Amino acid sequence: MIEITNSSHDPCFNLALEEYAVKNWPGSQSYFILWQNQPAVIIGRNQNTIEEINQAYLEEKGIQVVRRMSGGGAVYHDLGNLNFTVVVDENNDFANFEKFTRPVITALKRIGIKAENNGRNDITIKGRKFSGNAQFKFRDRLLHHGTILFDSRLEDMAEALNPSTEKISSKGIKSVRSRVTNISEHLSIPVSVEEFKQILAEEVLRAEDSNHSYQLTDSDLHAVNDLRDNKYSAWAWNYGKSPAYNVRKTHPYPWGNIDIRLDIKRGLISGCRIYGDYFAGGDIEELEKTLIGEVYQEEDIKKCLEQLDLEKYLPHTNKKEFTDLLCR
Amino acid sequence: MNIPKKLLYTSEHEWIRVDGEKGNIGITDYAQHHLGDIVFVELPEVGEEAAMGESIGVIESVKAVATLFSPAGGKVIEVNEELEEAPELLNEDPYGNWIAIIELTDHSDLEKLMSAEAYTEFCKNLE
Repeated sequence: MIEITNSSHDPCFNLALEEYAVKNWPGSQSYFILWQNQPAVIIGRNQNTIEEINQAYLEEKGIQVVRRMSGGGAVYHDLGNLNFTVVVDENNDFANFEKFTRPVITALKRIGIKAENNGRNDITIKGRKFSGNAQFKFRDRLLHHGTILFDSRLEDMAEALNPSTEKISSKGIKSVRSRVTNISEHLSIPVSVEEFKQILAEEVLRAEDSNHSYQLTDSDLHAVNDLRDNKYSAWAWNYGKSPAYNVRKTHPYPWGNIDIRLDIKRGLISGCRIYGDYFAGGDIEELEKTLIGEVYQEEDIKKCLEQLDLEKYLPHTNKKEFTDLLCR
Repeated sequence: MNIPKKLLYTSEHEWIRVDGEKGNIGITDYAQHHLGDIVFVELPEVGEEAAMGESIGVIESVKAVATLFSPAGGKVIEVNEELEEAPELLNEDPYGNWIAIIELTDHSDLEKLMSAEAYTEFCKNLE
């Protein structure tokens, strides 16, 4: 097995590296990567981003949202969380989670902690989840990856993954809330995350013969950076890839109640209805039509409204208030 | 394992049912069985063109995400939107529920696909 040395904490780079590894590196070889991210929310392949995150909190803290290739729910990463990735030939390991989680369990055993698979895709300590696992299959290659909460800031996790109570409906994959725990809570002897990385790497490599490590070459870095810039850092992937959804925005203003229904497809507004008990100044249908086709993102909505005499339709509001209602 | 006679198969466990210029495509019984409970199907776009073996969507199960490849080159002319509401249909009846219909660009692609007999043999070797 080849151990990839990767000290980047950039979530977009790290997810790009995974895709690059599973799609480009030669078959018959197995690869192993241990990595950490600066604070980020990593959402599942088929999730609706805005349904999973606390946008205001993420903006305030400068936390990125990045979509991954594998399925399942949203997770929070920070430097207290350790990620492991294994890329192998598919053979019969597909959906065999135990084979990949076993080294984590044995590594923990070495530091005096009893952990077990919970039968789904998690590893738990005393019934509480500290590791979530997922797989991605591409042709005859299989990528298995998992998170390991070592000493993550669980209160930040709870904030980041607490979406505002907007009325959104979609067919996207919903995250399942679990009771979580950090490994550090269960230690009887002090072990740092660096020491644990070492132990885990030993356990992963133990079962394999002819192990060696590999430094990413300039050409690897070039390809991974390309993927990072063009896909994993891009709105089109992180937000635009969300399954179609509907969102309802309502607000009681002093001048009346407003109720907006938006259909969002591939990140664009594909349907828009505006209802209200206010006295409408113009044909509201015109405003609805103007919004259709726009990218459902604050910047784009702002730009769209700039060219418009909004007061003609909604005499008592202003562009800022209306943008906030639509996008926040 | 159910492997209907009249379809053609890929090594990625997709099938195609050819009818003149058109082909309905889907995933095999083997694929749905190995994926486990399917929870999401990302359909291609109508109008999208794909070469043989090019990725046209993804299927997410409780265990993994797998890429869907086009069994032959063509243009997507219809997608099965029912799968957006009920992805589990692919588990219940993988041959009755097609994913997309493509208009074939090159019939010679079909010669590279497996017959039911060849695919049966192929699956046997995987076990």
